[in-house]
Amino acid sequence: MILQLDFIFILFVIICAIAALAVKDILSAVIILGAYSYFMCLLWTEMGAVDVAFTEASVSAGIGTVLMIAAVSKTTRRSKD
Amino acid sequence: MLELIAGKYNYWMYIVLMMIGLYGMMGKRNLIKKVVGMSIFQSAIILFYVSIACKKGGTIPILEHAHGHGHEEHIVHVASYINPLPHVLMLTAIVVAVSTLGVALAVAITVYRRYNTLEEDEILGFKNE
Amino acid sequence: MKFLSFIVAVITGGFLIYGTQDMPEWGDPNSPASLHVSPYYLENTMHDTATPNVVTSVLADYRGYDTLGETTVIFTAGISCALILRKRRRKKRK
Repeated sequence: MILQLDFIFILFVIICAIAALAVKDILSAVIILGAYSYFMCLLWTEMGAVDVAFTEASVSAGIGTVLMIAAVSKTTRRSKD
Repeated sequence: MLELIAGKYNYWMYIVLMMIGLYGMMGKRNLIKKVVGMSIFQSAIILFYVSIACKKGGTIPILEHAHGHGHEEHIVHVASYINPLPHVLMLTAIVVAVSTLGVALAVAITVYRRYNTLEEDEILGFKNE
Repeated sequence: MKFLSFIVAVITGGFLIYGTQDMPEWGDPNSPASLHVSPYYLENTMHDTATPNVVTSVLADYRGYDTLGETTVIFTAGISCALILRKRRRKKRK
C-alpha cells in the first residue's frame, strides 16, 4: 500500500462514479462505468489483492460492460436525467 | 490530527462512494441509471472489505520460497503477508454482483418491451389499457 | 424528490462517518480482522494443501462449500434470466 498512489486512484474512482451518474446518454454512462471498474481494479492491485483485481477486470469490467451494452442495444439510449 | 486523517481518510472516501451509489439508486428516474448506482454501491462495499485486509509492510498473500527448496519447512511470518480471508469472501461477492446485474438488466428489458419506456414516472403514469 | 434523496444520502453518510471513529487504523497489523483465523491459513496452507497461493487454497480447499454455494447462485441467476427474457407465445384463438 502506497498512500499517495492510493489517494490518486480513489480520486479517479470518485470522479468516474459522479460522471457515470451525471451523464445524460446511457451508453456513455455504461462506458464510464467500465472505466470505473478498471480504476477499481488498479486500486485493488495497489492494495495487494491481486486475485480480486483480475477477477474484477475479467468479470465486472468485461462481462458486466458487455451485459449493459446488450441491454442498452435492446432498449433505448436516451434518458431524461 | 494528521495521523487521524492518514489513518481514517480511506474509510471516509468509501463512504462518499457508497453514498453516491445510494443517491443514484434513489434519486435517478431511469432504470438503467438505477442499475449503475447499484453497481457503484456494491463495489464500494467490496472496496471497504479489501481495505480491511491491508497490513503496513505486508506483501501479497502468495508464500515465498514455497517450492523447489527440498522438504524443509519454512517459518511463515504472518505479519509480512496481508490477510487472505477478505479477498476470498470478496471474490465470491464480485461474481454474485455480476449475476444480480444480469437479472436486473433482464427485468429492465422486459419492462421496456411492455411499456416502451425506461423512465420511472412515465411507467407510473401509464394507463393500464 | 431528488432533493429529499440527497438529504437522506447525506444523513446516512454522516452516521457512517460517525461510526468510523471506532475502526482500527488503515494498515494496522494488529487489527481484529487479521488476528482470528487468517494466521492459521497462512501458517498451515503449505502443510495442508501444498499450494503457495493462500487465496486459492482457502477458496477451493478450506471453504469449498462456499464456492459450491456461489455456483448455485450463478446457476439460479442464469435460469431466471432465461425465464424472464423468454418470448411468450400468444394464446391461440379458436
